[in-house]
Amino acid sequence: MIQLQNIEKYYANKGLKSYILRHVSTTIQQGEFVSIMGPSGAGKSTLLNILGMLEEPTYGSYEFMGENVVSLNERKRIELYRNHIGFVFQAYHLIDEMTVAENIEAPLLYKKVGSAERKSRVAEMLDRFNMVAKKDLFPNQLSGGQQQLVGIARALAAQPLIILADEPTGNLQSAQALQIMDLFKKLNEEENITIIQVTHSEINAGYGTRILHLLDGVISEDIQVVV
Amino acid sequence: MFRLNLKIALRNLWKHKGYTFINIAGLSIGMASCILIFIFVRYQLSFDQQFANKDRIYRVVSSWKYADKEDFQSGVPRPLAAAMRNDFGMLEEVAALQRAGGIIKVKDQSGKLRLKTAEDVFYIEPGFFRIFDYPWLEGNPQQALVQPNTVALSQKMASRFFGDWHKAVGQTFQYRDKTLKVTGVFADIPDNNSNPINIAIAYAGYENKDMKEWYTVSSSSEVYILLKKGVNIADLEGPKNAFLKKYYTDKESNGKEDHFFQPLAELHKDANYGNFSGKIMEKSQLTGLIAIGVFLLLTACINFINLATAQAIGRSKEIGVRKVMGGRRKQLMVQFLTETLTITIFALLIACVLTEAALPGMIGLFRENISFSIMDHPVIFVFMIVLVLLVSLVAGFYPAMVMSGFNPMLAIRNKVNLGNSGGAVLRKVLVVMQFTLTIILMTGTFIIMKQMKYIREKPLGFNPSAIAMVNVPGDSLSRLKYKFLKTKVENETGVRMASLCSSGPSSMDVDDINFSYNGKKPGFHVGSKYADADYFKTFDLKVISGKGFSGNDSLQEYIVNETFLKKLNIVSPEDAIGQKVSLGGSADQISIVGVVKDFNNTNLREAISPILFHKNSRKATVIAVKMNTQNIPATMKNIEAIWNSVYPDHVYMADFMEEKINKYYENERVIGTLFKAFALVIVFISFIGLFGLISFVATQRTKEMAIRKVLGASTLELVNMVNFSFMTLVLLANLMAWPIAYLLINKWLSGYAYRIELNIWPFLIVTSVSMIATLLTVSFRSFSAARANPVDALKDE
Repeated sequence: MIQLQNIEKYYANKGLKSYILRHVSTTIQQGEFVSIMGPSGAGKSTLLNILGMLEEPTYGSYEFMGENVVSLNERKRIELYRNHIGFVFQAYHLIDEMTVAENIEAPLLYKKVGSAERKSRVAEMLDRFNMVAKKDLFPNQLSGGQQQLVGIARALAAQPLIILADEPTGNLQSAQALQIMDLFKKLNEEENITIIQVTHSEINAGYGTRILHLLDGVISEDIQVVV
Repeated sequence: MFRLNLKIALRNLWKHKGYTFINIAGLSIGMASCILIFIFVRYQLSFDQQFANKDRIYRVVSSWKYADKEDFQSGVPRPLAAAMRNDFGMLEEVAALQRAGGIIKVKDQSGKLRLKTAEDVFYIEPGFFRIFDYPWLEGNPQQALVQPNTVALSQKMASRFFGDWHKAVGQTFQYRDKTLKVTGVFADIPDNNSNPINIAIAYAGYENKDMKEWYTVSSSSEVYILLKKGVNIADLEGPKNAFLKKYYTDKESNGKEDHFFQPLAELHKDANYGNFSGKIMEKSQLTGLIAIGVFLLLTACINFINLATAQAIGRSKEIGVRKVMGGRRKQLMVQFLTETLTITIFALLIACVLTEAALPGMIGLFRENISFSIMDHPVIFVFMIVLVLLVSLVAGFYPAMVMSGFNPMLAIRNKVNLGNSGGAVLRKVLVVMQFTLTIILMTGTFIIMKQMKYIREKPLGFNPSAIAMVNVPGDSLSRLKYKFLKTKVENETGVRMASLCSSGPSSMDVDDINFSYNGKKPGFHVGSKYADADYFKTFDLKVISGKGFSGNDSLQEYIVNETFLKKLNIVSPEDAIGQKVSLGGSADQISIVGVVKDFNNTNLREAISPILFHKNSRKATVIAVKMNTQNIPATMKNIEAIWNSVYPDHVYMADFMEEKINKYYENERVIGTLFKAFALVIVFISFIGLFGLISFVATQRTKEMAIRKVLGASTLELVNMVNFSFMTLVLLANLMAWPIAYLLINKWLSGYAYRIELNIWPFLIVTSVSMIATLLTVSFRSFSAARANPVDALKDE
């Protein structure tokens, strides 16, 4: 599904190149649950951003579903966002002015899903995450864990093939974090959704099927997790 | 504390240069407009206000009520002054002021002619100078003008006549057939005076002073009264009614006579009556100007409030920290008000420069000598201080209140949410208000332009082009030479035709007289004009029935216009030919020989009135000369030479018919220019404010846009999302502006007998223009925000 070849990312400053990523090559199959780990500054978030096409690599090739997506034009990239990629953020990034239900509905609007189907999918999400009672609340009326659930629900609403999560539990208490990880695992196993998460936590990484260790911009270890 | 606040204020302003620029630009232009309006209004209100007795001085004016209209006159019957002096006990002084004019000749010691000039003169009763305390430089104002044939001159006039005004007293000069002796010199009368007196001749020597006619009123005969101290003007009402009964005894007279005591301050503001200086500024126009000034300032203040509350969130951390450190709400408010004050003072400095720069244009527009000198008029300085304080308070108070009210804990964590609280709603209301004002002014300007174009292009029913109106003297000796002059002028190359007449087809001064038609009085007046046989061809007037005047001057004939017939219910013009009319109670029955197609006989504010042309050459005042369009200046020079050879004792004066007509619309020219200028200013202020607001909103919504973007929103969708709210606001403002603009404009247009019809198009055009302008302004900023890389906005701090 994802094929990275020799991805490099550096910032040139007065002729000095400071590398964020070097010679990153890997392949991720449909249905994998990958955790990207490593110390601060190792390039985890940058790698995730490149995977999410939010940043362009300085060098190297990136194929998403068999298509080269390096310097993809905006229209096509948006098509991918609408149909295949869901994002989950550490700080949730819900839209403050919108209610829970409206937040979940937003990607469907962009995907131009019909009104009736939108309603049913939002209802389904609310139901699935036990949030029906909270659907008319605003994000600031929810706890962090609940907000992150809304964030995931929003990412799932558009029925993506892959979820990119940047420290999804970083702002959460451990009990809530476990709940989120269980959810990811379930989605991965039951719906075959590819999940790529950046995390600091060994425990979180343990939920996945594969761990990529990054150190100073280089993949230092690529471990298959055996259950 | 203040110094610290000021320093922080300056730093904050510097940090947000863009918003500061928008605020200062808007405020300074708004303030400059206000200052300009203020100095203009101050000047207009200063008219006739320099006299010690100003509150007790009134002018006696006349009015007549007719069945269908009311007439106003600044003049009064000649015997009125003497009669009032006799009949009213509560008056300290009554004085007549009679305007006249003629040729003045000044000779030097050796008896050689030194100066020949045509001047306006005033016959003045000595009491006039007890009412008005003009400063006299030489002579005694109470005694100088008691004897007949004595005269007092203004300093300027005395210097012009005799070289040095110090030498003027005791000298003599010729005025018409009189020799006048100078007995006094008074200081020049300032421009802001309704009586521009330069030559004051003793009333005792006025030839018509003893006229006893109560039913003839000339606008040249004014009377001023000075109330005794403690007398209320309302106390004069009773004696006035008795007075009217006593002197107006003719039951047959057409209108009902009345007199009114006009306060001195109104002389300059009441267009019904007018004054000798010819300068009028109607109250409604002053009010309109003041309203526009307030509008402009309000728009600029709204910009300020919007941007300040919008910026408040960005400063919430600072506010929280200050509060935690122990800053009290009051102190914070003082700090924010200091910032506003700083901005306002900056804006004022720039406004002063702008005012100075715009002043020549303003002087050119109003043709008045207005000055922006704080030395001469300290009140301007006071106004500016008041303006600064007012603007600081209006613009600064609300944002200061909001910001200083933040909960410190939330503020520190950047959790203050103005978006869902009153701030956003208020901003929307203010923007709608601002744009409502803008749209009203834009629509108004648009329609005023259209109406003026309509007036310029409307056919008048005659052709005024290339016609010079040259004065002819009216004395009996000069009248004998009319024919001679006309023949000589007609023979001049470049002259196509000439006509002796009392005035052109369109003129503001019409001789309204009553008449009878076939022996019956119809109950309306007719405007009478003298015209010779060539008049109709000269002005290209169409005679639609009968014929023009015959060349035989001794044969009396009348020609009337269509409106005259319409008012008499005569359907076919042919029916009027041969009917008899007698004018002004005379027994002579004179036949109508022709009917002329209707033409606009005054300006287009007025409907066409009934007009009658006669052949009484005693009423001649001008010779209208139609010229070939080439080489008009040379032709005019030759005409002047001919004129001077025919009338060596008189002074030549000429103007062009087209210029005379243009002068009717002087007012429209001024209003049009003002509206254009102020509409431009308000559009600038509003859109620069809108730009500031969208910049802020775009910044504030960056995160939201980034989220939406990764959810799959396209740039266009994001731009639309941000634009939509602004477009709705401006559309709402348009809808609110429509009815208000419609009412105001309709009222203005109703002052014209000839007007464009209001339809929806100007409104639609202004709406679309404003919507497109909004779209462009907003898109400019929202597009760049939507294009930004979401990663930057979504980074977790």
